[in-house]
Amino acid sequence: MRYTRPADVDGVTAALADGDAVVVGGGTMVVPEMTHGRVRPSAVVDLAKAGLAGIARDGDGWVIGAMTTYTELARSNVPLLATAARGITGGPQIRNRGTVGGSASYANPSSDVPAVLVALGARMRLARRGGAREVPAAEFFAGAFRTAREPDEVLTAITVPDTAAAPGYVKFKLVEGSWPIVTAAALAGPTIRVVLGGAAAAPVVVELERASWRARLRSEVDRLLTEPWDDVLAPGHYRARIAPVIAARAVAGALEEA
Amino acid sequence: MAALPARVGIGSSPRKRDGAALLTGRALFLDDHRPEGLLHAVVVRSEVAHGRIRAIDTAAAAAAPGVALVLTGAEAAKHAGPVPYFIDPAARGGNRTDIRCLQVDKVVHVGQPVAAVVAASRHEAQAAADLVRITYDVLPHVLDARAAMAQDAPRLYEDWPGNVVAHNRYGSGDPDAALAAADVVVEGELRIARTTTAPIEPRGYLASWQGDRLTVHASCQNPHQLRWMLSVSLGVDESRIRIVTAKVGGSFGLKMQGHPEETLVALLSLLADAPVKWVEDRRETLMAGAREQVHRFRVGATSDGRITGLVNEIVADIGALTAQAGWAMPNMSATTQPSGYAVQDVRVELDIVCTNKPPCNAARGFGKDAAHFVMERAVDLVARELGMDPAEVRRRNFVREFPYRTATGLNIDSGDFDGLLDKTLDAVDYAGIRRGQAESRERGRYLGVGLGFELTPESSDSPGTFVSGFDTTTVRMSVTGMVTVLTGVTSPGGGNDTGIAQIVATELGVPIEWVELVQGDTDRCPNGFGNFSGRSMVVGGGSATLAARDVRAKLLAVAARLFETSEVDIRDGIASGGGRELPVPEVARALLTRAFAIGDIEPVLESTRAYKPGNINHVPDELGRIQPYPTYSSSLHAAVVEVDAETGKVTLADYVMTHDCGTMINPALVEGQARGAVTMGLGSALSEQLVFAADGSLASNRFKSYLLPRAGDIPLLRMIHQVTPSPFAMHGNKGAGEAGVGGAQAAVANAVEDALAPFGVTVRGVPLSPPNVLALIDEARP
Amino acid sequence: MKLTVNGVEHEIDVDPRTLLVHAIREQVGLTGTHVGCLTGDCGACTVVVDGQTTKSCSVLALSAEGSAVETIESLADGDDLHPVQQAFWDEFGFQCGFCLPGMLLTAKELVESTPDPTDDDILRAIDGNLCRCTGYNTIVAAVRKAARS
Ligand SMILES: Cc1cc2nc3c(=O)[nH]c(=O)nc-3n(C[C@H](O)[C@H](O)[C@H](O)COP(=O)(O)OP(=O)(O)OC[C@H]3O[C@@H](n4cnc5c(N)ncnc54)[C@H](O)[C@@H]3O)c2cc1C
Repeated sequence: MRYTRPADVDGVTAALADGDAVVVGGGTMVVPEMTHGRVRPSAVVDLAKAGLAGIARDGDGWVIGAMTTYTELARSNVPLLATAARGITGGPQIRNRGTVGGSASYANPSSDVPAVLVALGARMRLARRGGAREVPAAEFFAGAFRTAREPDEVLTAITVPDTAAAPGYVKFKLVEGSWPIVTAAALAGPTIRVVLGGAAAAPVVVELERASWRARLRSEVDRLLTEPWDDVLAPGHYRARIAPVIAARAVAGALEEA
Repeated sequence: MAALPARVGIGSSPRKRDGAALLTGRALFLDDHRPEGLLHAVVVRSEVAHGRIRAIDTAAAAAAPGVALVLTGAEAAKHAGPVPYFIDPAARGGNRTDIRCLQVDKVVHVGQPVAAVVAASRHEAQAAADLVRITYDVLPHVLDARAAMAQDAPRLYEDWPGNVVAHNRYGSGDPDAALAAADVVVEGELRIARTTTAPIEPRGYLASWQGDRLTVHASCQNPHQLRWMLSVSLGVDESRIRIVTAKVGGSFGLKMQGHPEETLVALLSLLADAPVKWVEDRRETLMAGAREQVHRFRVGATSDGRITGLVNEIVADIGALTAQAGWAMPNMSATTQPSGYAVQDVRVELDIVCTNKPPCNAARGFGKDAAHFVMERAVDLVARELGMDPAEVRRRNFVREFPYRTATGLNIDSGDFDGLLDKTLDAVDYAGIRRGQAESRERGRYLGVGLGFELTPESSDSPGTFVSGFDTTTVRMSVTGMVTVLTGVTSPGGGNDTGIAQIVATELGVPIEWVELVQGDTDRCPNGFGNFSGRSMVVGGGSATLAARDVRAKLLAVAARLFETSEVDIRDGIASGGGRELPVPEVARALLTRAFAIGDIEPVLESTRAYKPGNINHVPDELGRIQPYPTYSSSLHAAVVEVDAETGKVTLADYVMTHDCGTMINPALVEGQARGAVTMGLGSALSEQLVFAADGSLASNRFKSYLLPRAGDIPLLRMIHQVTPSPFAMHGNKGAGEAGVGGAQAAVANAVEDALAPFGVTVRGVPLSPPNVLALIDEARP
Repeated sequence: MKLTVNGVEHEIDVDPRTLLVHAIREQVGLTGTHVGCLTGDCGACTVVVDGQTTKSCSVLALSAEGSAVETIESLADGDDLHPVQQAFWDEFGFQCGFCLPGMLLTAKELVESTPDPTDDDILRAIDGNLCRCTGYNTIVAAVRKAARS
């Protein structure tokens, strides 16, 4: 196995150009997968020194480097994302190491970041040798553990536009140490958007009117959540059962702040 | 607190004596030992739940870098015989099979050892292990115990009449008549899902041979039994085997011996002619089952809440049979009923059944937990049926005269169960909770309180086995006055070493700092049985007391000579008499260096004693019942929960345990044991469950899918002590360490049912995970 | 590669797949950092990398080149225990001691970064460290005590 730790994005894209290398961000998911033989890469590109960490203001929004850790996010005031980062489990060790880019690229249905990014209308900046592109978060998350990223691309940053809408975030897990079972990221502005995580293979977007949200929420969730995510922690029908409950709590939380 | 021996020490809580080494990272656990020339082993495990081994191709593995040895079952069988049972089912009228270190022609569960690879590094061993190709003739498998009992079910062991290891019946009186005559009869079914002990340190062994002598370092609870087992399976005399238990990073029953890898690693070292170490991967540790059983019960009661009869049918799924003690645990689920309730018309029918899952290994609670869970559910159901308060029904049925012979033949030594109940209700503010409950329900909040009473037989002795109710300790004082205690009991982390040192220091009258303790080394320690069944302080402490008293008597005799008076005493390391004083080291030196001047006192400051507590009786009574336990600790638990009726999530709001383990040698260590056991019970009550895929592979194979309690899951577990000394144990102490698992399960289950009473929910098992609780609510809704 | 552990630079030979925890234990020879799961869940392998607690089973050894790694062995000053260690001893904050090194380093990070932690802060801080012996109550008490000392 080859190991490289490029000093900048160009170095990263060069190392990825053959399309056979595995990116290591914080390593919290991919390193154990290598240990247990679930990933057997011929080359590894470590982003640790590529200069991709940090949160910056840019016009009417934030640019969040892919290597920004949960600990950094938790200290920021990026709506929803800061709240979600504080609630990441695994202890400070994971929050110090796990990155927003790693979580997004991993695209685990049972995770916090994807639904939050979709709710925020974030855009994902991808770079490859000699080029770059931006993909809206809603398109980036293609399915369980699947994203729009090509094997020779690296996620460099995530841009998040400012929002005047009030945020509400609720995560439901079985006990302290479990993956999120269902999360709901709500933004309440003139209309209400609530995005469900954990409930299906990819985030589920529910749009509601302020006046009728309580009456409509359950039927909208039922309509959109046709294939709930099912795993060893919780069966699909359970996720489908509680998804409207968690969504309603997130919206209520947002409206209290509004 | 009851009267304690007058001298200082016992009853106080000095800190753990090995603390400094543990706190600084200097303590050596098994994986920290790395002798020169060490090789590493990886076990190749079955990927099918049931199949005949057709072929094993080891060529690629043998040729892989760094590989020293690849061993298959057929080859292993030429060098090693079957692993002897810790408790042989045949001796209990059951079915047995040969347990091999590597399977020879058949596998009966996913994960069963089939081959092993030894290489220069762990990484190379793993890489080579992945190259071993095994082909199977796959056979149909069965994962459910009831299904396994069917006539046409796949047979794990073809020479058995079925998949049942043993069918046993326990009890006395005429329960059918009692139920027929009862004012009310309630019945229920309880499913206890499969859990696992999951110590944070996995299992591991390191074997090395020097000529024809074998040394095994092991993360293990019972070094002497392990020595015997290896002696039998390898055909090497015990005198040539030395077992040293490294520091053990938690065990909870898992590291009792009887695992195939013990013999395997010793054999690999022999064949590779080098030290070989094997340490489990977490996925391997998580395969070990702890308990899985279904109870169907019927209880009869009078209209005023007296329970008159009990029938309980238990089907216990032990997975594949093991030489470890775990398969026998369900027997205790049967014999511990009806716990501390005065019910004499009882019948418990038990089927211990094999399925194509990994074996159940011994686990804290040892089956007694299930007895309490069932009894406490039964009591609550009686209360519900009669519209009585559950606390009151308990009070109507408690045993009050001791010793008390239970329906299954146990002889409860002592206790004060009403005292436990009073203290618990008071501490948890039972009346206040009941008042608040109605009000919170109106606001859509579901609060509940549940009780769980536990009577925990401890320090067992099973005749003809190495489950031994006595133990042995040597106390030796050197010429410098320093004391070495060599004992047969071991400590997997609970701290009995500190407790034993306290006892010896107290008995001798010397500072605890003078006392060094040696455990877990078969070449140094006297014959003993290690750690299980809450025995270490009872029999380790008892034997240490006897030995220390011998040494003290000798010191007193010498001092009497030196002071020329018969009025002598020893305290705080000073001998005194006749107005004179002499440090104890001087007394020791006098005897050991001036033996002839001192006169006719035998110049040895050493004693080896065994302690057999009272109350054990192996002569079967007219019903064939024996009495294998000296002491019975008891406890009463109260859990306060809030249930989110929209998601099914249970949150613990408060927890009280009133614990009576007789005299406490070191109260802080007792509390540590109790809190640990309660937490294990809470985990199995709320979140822990081993889940198997349809193909028999373990789906919950990491800590993301097997959910142990974390700090935020556990409220302050409030501990209250009651001390009812045992008349049958040296210091009046009873076992501590197992009480908590069943009590916690019961208290939580009863609390959840109480919280959800407005829905009419009936709890039918654990874990009460959010999906399971929501299903109960749905089911109860009209 | 060069690996700096507890202020000492070690020249070690590693495979690119070697985990930081294995490099520390097997190459550097400091065995106080324990292996409990190798999936980042139990926290027994916690070390401090460049001032931040990290689970060393989830870091490639090569990735730590150029970083300052601190392990449990650096906590005490000779025979003088660190206040966090002393608090764990006083409060019976451990039994078997296997999870202890990871707990201690995590607790130390909390008390250094949060002067007067609430119980909630403490629970969240040790959320990534599993203990199977104590039921956590005494650990929480120990962290509280360490924070006050
Ligand atoms: C104990 C524990 C608790 C956890 N709790 C939570 C939780 O509560 N909520 C939650 O959502 N998650 C949780 N996680 C998962 C967490 O989200 C991820 O661990 C983390 O965010 C992933 O980031 P990373 O940088 O470590 O990713 P890595 O492990 O480095 O990478 C993950 C995947 O993304 C790829 N990748 C990483 N960075 C990039 C990039 N910039 N461009 C392209 N591909 C990239 C890698 O190749 C790999 O496939 C937990 C994990 C652990 C171990």
